[in-house]
Amino acid sequence: MHKVWLAGIVLLTSLCAKAQYKGYGTMKDEAVFRAQFKEASRKINTIQSDFVQEKNLSLLDDKITSRGKFWFRRENAVRMEYTSPFQYLMVVNGTDVYIKDSKKENRLSSGSNKLFRQINRIMIDCVNGNALDSKDFTVQLFSGSNDHLIALTPVEKTLKTMFSHVYIFVDKGDFSVTRVEMHEPSGDHTLIRFVNRQMNVNLPDALFVAR
Amino acid sequence: MRYLLLVSIWLAAGCRSAYEGVRIASARPCIEAFQPEFSRVVYSAQAEVAGRHLTGLLMIKAMPDSSIRMVFTNEAGFKFFDFGFSGDNFTVYYITEQMNRKAVLKTLRKDFELILMQHTRQPFAVIRKKDEWYYDFKNGKDHYYYITDSACSSLLRMERGSSRKKVVEAYLGNFTNHMPDTIAIRHVNFNFTITLQQLDDDAAE
Repeated sequence: MHKVWLAGIVLLTSLCAKAQYKGYGTMKDEAVFRAQFKEASRKINTIQSDFVQEKNLSLLDDKITSRGKFWFRRENAVRMEYTSPFQYLMVVNGTDVYIKDSKKENRLSSGSNKLFRQINRIMIDCVNGNALDSKDFTVQLFSGSNDHLIALTPVEKTLKTMFSHVYIFVDKGDFSVTRVEMHEPSGDHTLIRFVNRQMNVNLPDALFVAR
Repeated sequence: MRYLLLVSIWLAAGCRSAYEGVRIASARPCIEAFQPEFSRVVYSAQAEVAGRHLTGLLMIKAMPDSSIRMVFTNEAGFKFFDFGFSGDNFTVYYITEQMNRKAVLKTLRKDFELILMQHTRQPFAVIRKKDEWYYDFKNGKDHYYYITDSACSSLLRMERGSSRKKVVEAYLGNFTNHMPDTIAIRHVNFNFTITLQQLDDDAAE
Protein backbone atom coordinates (compact mmCIF):
# COMPACT_ATOMS: atom_id res chain seq x y z
CA MET A 1 0.00 0.00 0.00
CA HIS A 2 2.86 2.35 0.92
CA LYS A 3 4.45 1.64 -2.48
CA VAL A 4 1.27 2.76 -4.28
CA TRP A 5 1.22 6.00 -2.29
CA LEU A 6 4.91 6.54 -2.96
CA ALA A 7 4.47 5.93 -6.70
CA GLY A 8 1.54 8.36 -6.69
CA ILE A 9 3.56 11.06 -4.95
CA VAL A 10 6.51 10.57 -7.34
CA LEU A 11 4.14 10.81 -10.33
CA LEU A 12 2.45 13.95 -9.00
CA THR A 13 5.80 15.54 -8.20
CA SER A 14 7.10 14.86 -11.70
CA LEU A 15 3.90 16.25 -13.25
CA CYS A 16 4.18 19.40 -11.12
CA ALA A 17 7.83 19.75 -12.06
CA LYS A 18 6.90 19.53 -15.75
CA ALA A 19 4.36 22.32 -15.33
CA GLN A 20 7.10 24.62 -14.06
CA TYR A 21 9.10 26.89 -16.29
CA LYS A 22 12.80 26.07 -16.46
CA GLY A 23 14.80 28.07 -13.94
CA TYR A 24 11.78 28.93 -11.82
CA GLY A 25 10.69 27.32 -8.57
CA THR A 26 7.61 27.43 -6.42
CA MET A 27 6.89 30.84 -4.95
CA LYS A 28 7.39 30.85 -1.18
CA ASP A 29 4.77 33.40 -0.20
CA GLU A 30 2.13 33.86 -2.86
CA ALA A 31 -0.05 36.12 -0.72
CA VAL A 32 2.80 38.60 -0.24
CA PHE A 33 3.57 38.60 -3.97
CA ARG A 34 -0.09 39.12 -4.87
CA ALA A 35 -0.33 42.09 -2.52
CA GLN A 36 2.96 43.61 -3.73
CA PHE A 37 2.14 43.08 -7.41
CA LYS A 38 -1.31 44.63 -7.06
CA GLU A 39 0.02 47.58 -5.07
CA ALA A 40 2.80 48.22 -7.61
CA SER A 41 0.36 47.90 -10.54
CA ARG A 42 -2.08 50.28 -8.82
CA LYS A 43 0.65 52.94 -8.77
CA ILE A 44 1.29 52.61 -12.51
CA ASN A 45 -0.82 55.07 -14.46
CA THR A 46 1.16 55.02 -17.70
CA ILE A 47 3.84 52.89 -19.33
CA GLN A 48 6.01 53.83 -22.28
CA SER A 49 8.27 51.12 -23.62
CA ASP A 50 9.96 49.68 -26.66
CA PHE A 51 9.18 46.07 -27.44
CA VAL A 52 10.69 43.17 -29.33
CA GLN A 53 8.30 40.49 -30.51
CA GLU A 54 9.40 37.02 -31.58
CA LYS A 55 7.03 34.62 -33.26
CA ASN A 56 8.66 31.22 -32.79
CA LEU A 57 7.57 28.55 -35.23
CA SER A 58 8.61 25.28 -33.62
CA LEU A 59 8.12 22.90 -36.54
CA LEU A 60 9.89 25.23 -38.92
CA ASP A 61 12.67 25.83 -36.40
CA ASP A 62 12.42 29.51 -37.28
CA LYS A 63 11.18 32.80 -35.92
CA ILE A 64 9.92 36.18 -37.13
CA THR A 65 11.22 39.14 -35.13
CA SER A 66 9.49 42.51 -35.10
CA ARG A 67 9.98 45.69 -33.08
CA GLY A 68 7.99 48.67 -32.04
CA LYS A 69 6.76 50.99 -29.33
CA PHE A 70 4.21 50.33 -26.61
CA TRP A 71 2.14 52.75 -24.57
CA PHE A 72 -0.36 52.00 -21.80
CA ARG A 73 -2.62 54.33 -19.87
CA ARG A 74 -4.85 53.27 -17.02
CA GLU A 75 -7.57 51.96 -17.12
CA ASN A 76 -7.63 50.34 -20.49
CA ALA A 77 -5.90 52.26 -23.23
CA VAL A 78 -3.10 50.60 -25.19
CA ARG A 79 -1.17 51.68 -28.25
CA MET A 80 1.15 49.23 -30.02
CA GLU A 81 3.10 50.58 -32.95
CA TYR A 82 5.16 48.11 -34.97
CA THR A 83 7.98 49.91 -36.73
CA SER A 84 10.22 47.12 -38.04
CA PRO A 85 10.26 45.21 -40.36
CA PHE A 86 6.72 46.41 -41.12
CA GLN A 87 4.49 49.33 -40.16
CA TYR A 88 1.37 48.46 -38.17
CA LEU A 89 -0.52 50.43 -35.56
CA MET A 90 -3.13 49.18 -33.11
CA VAL A 91 -4.86 51.44 -30.60
CA VAL A 92 -7.29 50.01 -28.08
CA ASN A 93 -9.21 52.47 -25.93
CA GLY A 94 -11.99 50.87 -23.90
CA THR A 95 -14.05 48.97 -26.44
CA ASP A 96 -12.83 51.08 -29.39
CA VAL A 97 -10.15 49.67 -31.63
CA TYR A 98 -8.22 51.49 -34.35
CA ILE A 99 -5.95 49.59 -36.72
CA LYS A 100 -3.75 51.07 -39.40
CA ASP A 101 -1.60 48.96 -41.69
CA SER A 102 0.50 50.09 -44.63
CA LYS A 103 -2.58 50.50 -46.82
CA LYS A 104 -5.74 50.88 -44.79
CA GLU A 105 -7.27 52.22 -41.61
CA ASN A 106 -9.92 50.28 -39.75
CA ARG A 107 -12.07 51.21 -36.78
CA LEU A 108 -14.01 48.58 -34.94
CA SER A 109 -15.44 47.74 -31.58
CA SER A 110 -13.80 44.95 -29.63
CA GLY A 111 -17.17 44.48 -27.95
CA SER A 112 -18.58 43.13 -31.20
CA ASN A 113 -15.86 40.50 -31.62
CA LYS A 114 -15.47 37.86 -28.93
CA LEU A 115 -11.96 36.83 -29.97
CA PHE A 116 -10.70 40.39 -30.12
CA ARG A 117 -12.34 41.13 -26.77
CA GLN A 118 -10.48 38.22 -25.15
CA ILE A 119 -7.10 39.15 -26.65
CA ASN A 120 -7.66 42.76 -25.64
CA ARG A 121 -8.46 41.68 -22.11
CA ILE A 122 -5.32 39.52 -21.78
CA MET A 123 -3.17 42.40 -22.99
CA ILE A 124 -4.69 44.92 -20.56
CA ASP A 125 -4.77 42.45 -17.64
CA CYS A 126 -1.07 41.76 -18.13
CA VAL A 127 -0.08 45.37 -17.59
CA ASN A 128 -2.64 46.65 -15.11
CA GLY A 129 -2.18 43.82 -12.62
CA ASN A 130 -5.55 42.11 -13.06
CA ALA A 131 -4.04 38.96 -14.57
CA LEU A 132 -3.94 37.35 -11.13
CA ASP A 133 -7.72 37.56 -10.85
CA SER A 134 -8.61 36.54 -14.42
CA LYS A 135 -11.60 34.19 -14.63
CA ASP A 136 -10.46 32.97 -18.05
CA PHE A 137 -7.31 31.33 -16.66
CA THR A 138 -6.04 29.29 -13.75
CA VAL A 139 -3.04 31.02 -12.19
CA GLN A 140 0.22 29.52 -10.90
CA LEU A 141 3.04 31.57 -9.42
CA PHE A 142 6.77 30.83 -9.58
CA SER A 143 9.99 32.64 -8.72
CA GLY A 144 13.33 32.85 -10.52
CA SER A 145 16.57 34.57 -9.59
CA ASN A 146 15.67 37.91 -11.22
CA ASP A 147 11.94 37.82 -11.73
CA HIS A 148 8.63 36.24 -10.84
CA LEU A 149 6.54 34.21 -13.25
CA ILE A 150 2.76 34.30 -13.49
CA ALA A 151 1.71 31.19 -15.43
CA LEU A 152 -1.79 31.35 -16.87
CA THR A 153 -3.58 28.29 -18.21
CA PRO A 154 -6.80 29.00 -20.13
CA VAL A 155 -10.07 27.50 -18.94
CA GLU A 156 -12.31 29.28 -21.46
CA LYS A 157 -13.08 27.22 -24.59
CA THR A 158 -11.99 29.71 -27.29
CA LEU A 159 -8.82 30.66 -25.42
CA LYS A 160 -7.93 26.97 -25.03
CA THR A 161 -7.80 26.61 -28.83
CA MET A 162 -5.42 29.59 -29.02
CA PHE A 163 -3.13 29.12 -26.04
CA SER A 164 -1.81 26.26 -23.95
CA HIS A 165 -0.18 28.74 -21.51
CA VAL A 166 0.47 32.44 -21.18
CA TYR A 167 3.55 33.33 -19.12
CA ILE A 168 3.96 36.80 -17.66
CA PHE A 169 7.38 37.69 -16.26
CA VAL A 170 7.46 40.32 -13.53
CA ASP A 171 10.57 42.22 -12.40
CA LYS A 172 11.46 41.47 -8.76
CA GLY A 173 12.46 45.07 -8.14
CA ASP A 174 9.60 47.19 -9.41
CA PHE A 175 7.03 44.45 -10.25
CA SER A 176 6.71 45.70 -13.82
CA VAL A 177 6.00 43.23 -16.65
CA THR A 178 9.22 42.56 -18.55
CA ARG A 179 8.12 39.74 -20.86
CA VAL A 180 4.96 37.98 -22.02
CA GLU A 181 5.02 34.57 -23.68
CA MET A 182 1.93 33.17 -25.39
CA HIS A 183 2.29 29.44 -26.03
CA GLU A 184 0.02 27.74 -28.56
CA PRO A 185 -1.16 24.11 -28.42
CA SER A 186 0.87 23.46 -31.63
CA GLY A 187 4.14 24.21 -29.80
CA ASP A 188 4.63 27.64 -31.38
CA HIS A 189 4.89 30.66 -29.14
CA THR A 190 4.98 34.44 -29.33
CA LEU A 191 7.33 36.28 -27.01
CA ILE A 192 7.07 40.02 -26.33
CA ARG A 193 9.96 41.62 -24.43
CA PHE A 194 9.46 45.11 -23.05
CA VAL A 195 12.68 47.16 -22.98
CA ASN A 196 13.47 50.78 -22.02
CA ARG A 197 10.40 50.83 -19.79
CA GLN A 198 9.33 54.17 -18.36
CA MET A 199 6.54 54.38 -15.80
CA ASN A 200 4.17 57.24 -15.14
CA VAL A 201 5.45 59.52 -17.87
CA ASN A 202 3.02 62.09 -19.21
CA LEU A 203 1.37 60.67 -22.32
CA PRO A 204 -0.69 62.88 -24.67
CA ASP A 205 -4.35 61.94 -25.28
CA ALA A 206 -3.66 61.86 -29.02
CA LEU A 207 -1.75 58.60 -28.59
CA PHE A 208 -4.92 56.77 -27.61
CA VAL A 209 -7.42 58.19 -30.09
CA ALA A 210 -9.19 55.16 -31.53
CA ARG A 211 -12.02 56.89 -33.37
CA MET B 1 -35.66 34.08 -86.22
CA ARG B 2 -33.45 37.17 -86.39
CA TYR B 3 -33.58 37.29 -82.60
CA LEU B 4 -32.48 33.64 -82.38
CA LEU B 5 -29.58 34.40 -84.73
CA LEU B 6 -28.47 37.35 -82.59
CA VAL B 7 -28.68 35.24 -79.44
CA SER B 8 -26.67 32.49 -81.14
CA ILE B 9 -23.97 34.97 -82.19
CA TRP B 10 -23.89 36.47 -78.69
CA LEU B 11 -23.65 33.02 -77.10
CA ALA B 12 -20.91 31.97 -79.49
CA ALA B 13 -18.95 35.13 -78.69
CA GLY B 14 -19.54 34.69 -74.98
CA CYS B 15 -18.41 31.08 -75.04
CA ARG B 16 -15.14 31.90 -76.76
CA SER B 17 -12.29 30.30 -74.88
CA ALA B 18 -9.83 32.56 -73.06
CA TYR B 19 -7.19 30.09 -74.16
CA GLU B 20 -7.93 29.96 -77.87
CA GLY B 21 -4.84 30.18 -80.03
CA VAL B 22 -2.46 28.25 -82.22
CA ARG B 23 -1.33 25.02 -80.62
CA ILE B 24 2.39 24.44 -80.96
CA ALA B 25 3.21 20.78 -81.58
CA SER B 26 6.58 20.80 -79.88
CA ALA B 27 8.20 23.37 -77.66
CA ARG B 28 11.23 23.19 -75.46
CA PRO B 29 10.47 22.96 -71.74
CA CYS B 30 11.69 26.36 -70.61
CA ILE B 31 9.32 27.08 -67.72
CA GLU B 32 11.35 25.43 -64.95
CA ALA B 33 13.85 28.28 -65.16
CA PHE B 34 11.19 30.60 -63.73
CA GLN B 35 10.34 28.44 -60.73
CA PRO B 36 10.86 30.50 -57.57
CA GLU B 37 13.21 29.01 -54.99
CA PHE B 38 11.79 29.95 -51.60
CA SER B 39 14.68 29.03 -49.31
CA ARG B 40 13.31 31.26 -46.51
CA VAL B 41 11.36 34.44 -46.95
CA VAL B 42 8.83 36.54 -45.03
CA TYR B 43 6.23 38.62 -46.84
CA SER B 44 3.93 41.34 -45.60
CA ALA B 45 0.55 40.03 -46.74
CA GLN B 46 -2.64 41.90 -47.61
CA ALA B 47 -5.81 40.10 -48.61
CA GLU B 48 -9.14 41.49 -49.79
CA VAL B 49 -11.87 38.91 -49.39
CA ALA B 50 -15.43 39.89 -50.32
CA GLY B 51 -14.89 43.46 -49.10
CA ARG B 52 -12.98 42.47 -45.96
CA HIS B 53 -9.39 43.55 -45.46
CA LEU B 54 -6.95 41.16 -43.83
CA THR B 55 -3.25 41.71 -43.19
CA GLY B 56 -0.43 39.67 -41.72
CA LEU B 57 2.89 37.98 -42.33
CA LEU B 58 3.47 35.00 -44.61
CA MET B 59 6.59 32.92 -44.12
CA ILE B 60 7.59 30.58 -46.94
CA LYS B 61 10.37 28.14 -46.14
CA ALA B 62 11.99 25.16 -47.87
CA MET B 63 12.29 22.27 -45.44
CA PRO B 64 15.12 19.69 -45.32
CA ASP B 65 12.77 17.08 -46.87
CA SER B 66 12.32 19.40 -49.92
CA SER B 67 8.76 20.28 -48.99
CA ILE B 68 7.66 23.91 -48.79
CA ARG B 69 5.97 25.28 -45.66
CA MET B 70 3.75 28.36 -45.61
CA VAL B 71 2.74 29.95 -42.32
CA PHE B 72 0.41 32.93 -42.14
CA THR B 73 0.10 34.93 -38.92
CA ASN B 74 -1.27 38.33 -38.09
CA GLU B 75 1.14 41.08 -37.05
CA ALA B 76 0.72 40.25 -33.35
CA GLY B 77 1.72 36.62 -33.95
CA PHE B 78 -1.63 34.84 -34.00
CA LYS B 79 -1.41 32.02 -36.50
CA PHE B 80 -4.09 31.62 -39.20
CA PHE B 81 -2.69 28.67 -41.11
CA ASP B 82 0.35 26.45 -41.60
CA PHE B 83 0.43 24.52 -44.89
CA GLY B 84 2.91 22.05 -46.37
CA PHE B 85 3.45 21.47 -50.11
CA SER B 86 5.37 18.53 -51.48
CA GLY B 87 4.88 17.56 -55.12
CA ASP B 88 1.17 16.83 -55.47
CA ASN B 89 0.76 16.45 -51.71
CA PHE B 90 -0.77 19.15 -49.57
CA THR B 91 -0.74 19.04 -45.75
CA VAL B 92 -2.72 21.26 -43.41
CA TYR B 93 -0.60 21.44 -40.25
CA TYR B 94 -2.84 24.08 -38.74
CA ILE B 95 -5.78 26.28 -39.68
CA THR B 96 -8.01 28.42 -37.47
CA GLU B 97 -11.54 27.20 -36.92
CA GLN B 98 -12.94 30.24 -38.77
CA MET B 99 -10.91 29.47 -41.90
CA ASN B 100 -11.30 25.70 -41.79
CA ARG B 101 -13.73 25.43 -44.71
CA LYS B 102 -13.36 23.05 -47.64
CA ALA B 103 -13.74 25.84 -50.22
CA VAL B 104 -11.20 28.10 -48.45
CA LEU B 105 -8.62 25.32 -48.23
CA LYS B 106 -9.15 24.30 -51.85
CA THR B 107 -8.80 27.87 -53.10
CA LEU B 108 -5.69 28.65 -51.05
CA ARG B 109 -4.07 25.34 -51.98
CA LYS B 110 -4.56 25.92 -55.71
CA ASP B 111 -3.52 29.58 -55.54
CA PHE B 112 -0.27 28.75 -53.78
CA GLU B 113 0.38 25.70 -55.98
CA LEU B 114 0.13 28.05 -58.96
CA ILE B 115 2.85 30.39 -57.67
CA LEU B 116 5.01 27.55 -56.34
CA MET B 117 4.75 25.95 -59.81
CA GLN B 118 3.99 22.59 -58.24
CA HIS B 119 2.47 21.05 -61.38
CA THR B 120 5.11 21.92 -63.96
CA ARG B 121 6.78 18.54 -64.01
CA GLN B 122 3.90 17.02 -65.93
CA PRO B 123 3.45 16.86 -69.75
CA PHE B 124 2.34 20.17 -71.16
CA ALA B 125 0.80 21.79 -74.18
CA VAL B 126 1.77 25.14 -75.66
CA ILE B 127 -0.67 27.65 -77.11
CA ARG B 128 0.49 30.72 -79.00
CA LYS B 129 -1.75 33.74 -78.70
CA LYS B 130 -0.40 36.81 -80.47
CA ASP B 131 3.02 37.43 -78.87
CA GLU B 132 2.34 35.37 -75.76
CA TRP B 133 3.05 31.69 -75.28
CA TYR B 134 0.85 29.79 -72.84
CA TYR B 135 2.51 26.74 -71.25
CA ASP B 136 -0.48 24.68 -70.20
CA PHE B 137 -0.05 22.09 -67.42
CA LYS B 138 -3.12 20.01 -66.63
CA ASN B 139 -3.81 18.76 -63.13
CA GLY B 140 -7.18 17.04 -62.80
CA LYS B 141 -9.77 19.44 -64.18
CA ASP B 142 -7.51 22.43 -63.61
CA HIS B 143 -5.16 23.96 -66.11
CA TYR B 144 -2.13 25.86 -64.82
CA TYR B 145 -0.92 28.33 -67.45
CA TYR B 146 2.50 29.98 -67.37
CA ILE B 147 2.62 32.76 -69.92
CA THR B 148 5.90 33.89 -71.42
CA ASP B 149 7.09 36.05 -74.29
CA SER B 150 7.75 34.25 -77.58
CA ALA B 151 11.43 33.67 -76.76
CA CYS B 152 10.54 32.32 -73.30
CA SER B 153 12.96 34.89 -71.86
CA SER B 154 10.53 36.25 -69.28
CA LEU B 155 7.52 34.95 -67.37
CA LEU B 156 4.74 37.48 -67.92
CA ARG B 157 2.13 36.00 -65.56
CA MET B 158 0.55 32.82 -64.25
CA GLU B 159 -3.07 31.76 -64.62
CA ARG B 160 -5.25 28.93 -63.44
CA GLY B 161 -8.55 27.97 -64.98
CA SER B 162 -10.28 25.42 -67.13
CA SER B 163 -9.47 24.82 -70.78
CA ARG B 164 -11.78 27.75 -71.57
CA LYS B 165 -12.06 30.13 -68.63
CA LYS B 166 -9.57 31.95 -66.44
CA VAL B 167 -10.21 31.65 -62.68
CA VAL B 168 -7.17 33.32 -61.17
CA GLU B 169 -4.08 35.20 -62.32
CA ALA B 170 -0.81 35.79 -60.50
CA TYR B 171 2.20 38.00 -60.99
CA LEU B 172 5.67 37.50 -59.51
CA GLY B 173 8.01 40.49 -59.62
CA ASN B 174 11.58 41.62 -58.89
CA PHE B 175 13.43 38.35 -58.35
CA THR B 176 16.46 38.34 -56.04
CA ASN B 177 18.24 35.04 -55.42
CA HIS B 178 15.41 33.27 -57.31
CA MET B 179 12.82 34.69 -54.86
CA PRO B 180 10.22 37.24 -55.96
CA ASP B 181 10.06 40.51 -54.05
CA THR B 182 6.35 40.94 -54.82
CA ILE B 183 3.54 38.49 -55.53
CA ALA B 184 -0.01 39.37 -56.56
CA ILE B 185 -2.83 36.84 -56.85
CA ARG B 186 -6.20 37.98 -58.20
CA HIS B 187 -9.36 35.97 -58.68
CA VAL B 188 -11.40 37.03 -61.68
CA ASN B 189 -14.76 35.53 -60.73
CA PHE B 190 -15.04 36.86 -57.18
CA ASN B 191 -13.53 39.59 -55.03
CA PHE B 192 -10.42 37.91 -53.65
CA THR B 193 -6.91 39.28 -54.02
CA ILE B 194 -3.68 38.55 -52.16
CA THR B 195 -0.66 40.84 -52.41
CA LEU B 196 2.68 39.96 -50.86
CA GLN B 197 5.66 42.27 -50.35
CA GLN B 198 8.95 40.82 -49.16
CA LEU B 199 10.12 42.02 -45.75
CA ASP B 200 13.69 42.56 -44.76
CA ASP B 201 13.52 40.61 -41.50
CA ASP B 202 16.67 39.30 -39.89
CA ALA B 203 16.45 35.51 -39.78
CA ALA B 204 19.71 35.17 -37.89
CA GLU B 205 18.60 37.17 -34.83
